[in-house]
Amino acid sequence: MKKRSYFLAVLVLAVILTAGVGKAWAYFTTYAEAAGGYTIQLGDRTEIREEYEEWVKHVSIANDAESQPVYIRAKAFSGTAYRLQYLDDSGRWTAGEDGYYYYSDMVKAGESTGELLIKISSADGMDIPGGEKDGDSFHVAVIYESTPVRYDTEGNPYADWKSVLDSGKVEGGAQE
Amino acid sequence: MKEKRQRKLLPPALTAVLFAAAVAMLVFGSVEGTRAALTYYSETYASRVQMYDIGVSLNENGESVSWRDYNSAANGTWNENTGVLLSHMLDDGESVKPGKAYKENLSVTNSGNINQYVRVTIYKYWLDQDGNKMTELSPDLIDLHLVNLGTDWIVDEEAATPERTVLYYNKLLYAEGEGISETPLFADTLTIDGKIADKVTQKRETDGVYTTITTSYDYDGVQFRIEARVDAVQEHNAADAAKSAWGKDVTVNSGVLSLD
Repeated sequence: MKKRSYFLAVLVLAVILTAGVGKAWAYFTTYAEAAGGYTIQLGDRTEIREEYEEWVKHVSIANDAESQPVYIRAKAFSGTAYRLQYLDDSGRWTAGEDGYYYYSDMVKAGESTGELLIKISSADGMDIPGGEKDGDSFHVAVIYESTPVRYDTEGNPYADWKSVLDSGKVEGGAQE
Repeated sequence: MKEKRQRKLLPPALTAVLFAAAVAMLVFGSVEGTRAALTYYSETYASRVQMYDIGVSLNENGESVSWRDYNSAANGTWNENTGVLLSHMLDDGESVKPGKAYKENLSVTNSGNINQYVRVTIYKYWLDQDGNKMTELSPDLIDLHLVNLGTDWIVDEEAATPERTVLYYNKLLYAEGEGISETPLFADTLTIDGKIADKVTQKRETDGVYTTITTSYDYDGVQFRIEARVDAVQEHNAADAAKSAWGKDVTVNSGVLSLD
């Protein structure tokens, strides 16, 4: 009888103590979540095309089909024996103060610039007769550069020729 | 024999009464914790059952993309949906334009029928082509532009990392019909920084007298990812609920939530 009373008393105490446990779990909570993203496409591969005819170089730059859009600029160098004159049938090449000619439109994947014509004249600016050819002394080099298209916050494209590549990593090979 | 009875801890009758009282407390205590309460209107002798259903929705550009709403009327089931963010950001065939600010209006709606407090946790990170997180790439170049900070949303600086931002809505978010049930925006645009086009790795290969340097873009082919998670707790005993559910000490004073 005595044991039974003790048992009942302990049971009563346990029931009283655990009666409030349920309240601690009664908070209403919920959640909602979502995620998303896109793959970034960078990188480009461009190629210059040059054709020579009658002391005129026909230059255009093509952007590969898998490339991202780029802006292009180009200029030519010659020795003192020749003078260079730039001609543009497309109306999209513009002379810059730095000697480069800038193509105004972005060149998308698979597209090419319009032709930049570089006419080679004698040092005094006289036309060189079309039939005259002297491969040993004729030397005009054309260089070009491309830069990835940038966008402002409105999505309008522009070229940033002053951006500096951050080559934080250099892998392999020996520095010369 | 009489002395023996006096040494008993409690009289059996008293024990039985206490036991019955404890059982009653347990039963009524449980009723308090359930999700339904009965309200009587004595004048009309009508009665109705008020169901306490908590629910919250994440909105993107004016549409609910994810939600999780309790439905006590449907045997206590959850009506829930987990959507995808940014699914309408690009047109077909369009690629991400670094520097462009894409519209990304994000807000929270109380889609339940009880008032609540909410917080939002945002994650930004990069994934490689196998879906592995790339911790060496900067989450800062994923610019989810946060708005209404300080006025409506509080940044939990203690929980902030370059990858994670935790925002607390500092007001009570009412159930529909009780008051304002949608928060002001906590973000309005998403911009991938144009600097990603400047980050390159150069590979140098020497073959005899020739050295070839190949430059590749660090961010080419990687995927940016943002996640947003909304957590909601009940209005009543909100501080305790927040501590219990979120592990965060908050203070609620006259309906205004602040971080301790």
